Amino acid sequence: MNILITRPEHDDTTYYLSHWSKKILDFAKKKGEKIFDLNRERATKKEVTSFLSKKNPEFIIFNGHGDDDLISGHKNEALIKAGENEGLLKNKMIYAISCKSAKKLGPESINAGAISYIGYDDDFVFIYEKNKITNPLTDDIAKIYLEPSNELIISLIKGNSTNESYKRSQDMFMTNLKKLLTSEAPSTPAVRYLWWDIKHQVLLGDKEARLR
Amino acid sequence: MVSEEEIKDLVIARLESLPENQKISIGSKGEFNKYELIESVKKGDEIGKKIIEIELEFLRALKKGMFG
Repeated sequence: MNILITRPEHDDTTYYLSHWSKKILDFAKKKGEKIFDLNRERATKKEVTSFLSKKNPEFIIFNGHGDDDLISGHKNEALIKAGENEGLLKNKMIYAISCKSAKKLGPESINAGAISYIGYDDDFVFIYEKNKITNPLTDDIAKIYLEPSNELIISLIKGNSTNESYKRSQDMFMTNLKKLLTSEAPSTPAVRYLWWDIKHQVLLGDKEARLR
Repeated sequence: MVSEEEIKDLVIARLESLPENQKISIGSKGEFNKYELIESVKKGDEIGKKIIEIELEFLRALKKGMFG
């Protein structure tokens, strides 16, 4: 199976998403999957377009910023934009940890023939520790947001359906939320942002689709 | 009925409990420390409105017993 992943790293948010995606890269490689990694300045529209046409990946993971109608890459260049090139996602399964893109680009991608689109229909919010910026994988507060996101991808790669994978991710988010609520600091803002992410993570398209 | 000012005070109190070493990433809007967020809530700008919206959504869920 061919997988394409984009990992821009031009600010704290993209740096964190990129580093947490290393766990996905390791997992996919161990499973013997071919994963094409468009990291840093390679996360451009030109590279994405080229990879989609030449390698025909079944699964695409977009890390980066976004908006209702787009997913962006290195230095916020639009990689996929509704009304322009969402047709590139035809016959693909997509996971976009890219703010808001499931609001408009998601449905339009499905209309253009994408199999499934899992993403967020509003801002993805997370807390991180300033002193962990050089090593995001050791950040336990960011982990409560980013591990459930990774769980979704790992579940899909294992061959579970989109709906099963979505549910696993939602369940892990919820477990983390309940842990916070029963902790010594239940009023922490962290709980609010976790609930926000749970509410705004959406699955569009075929709920029974799975990767081969 | 809770007034807008009361909601703002509640959100600011929550933000004040955020440790100094933590920042919040709000998608493409950027990354903010607690002082920047408190200032946004006080001013009522786009970021402040988002933080209030998040708090209200959480309070609605609590009221519905979503975490029981």
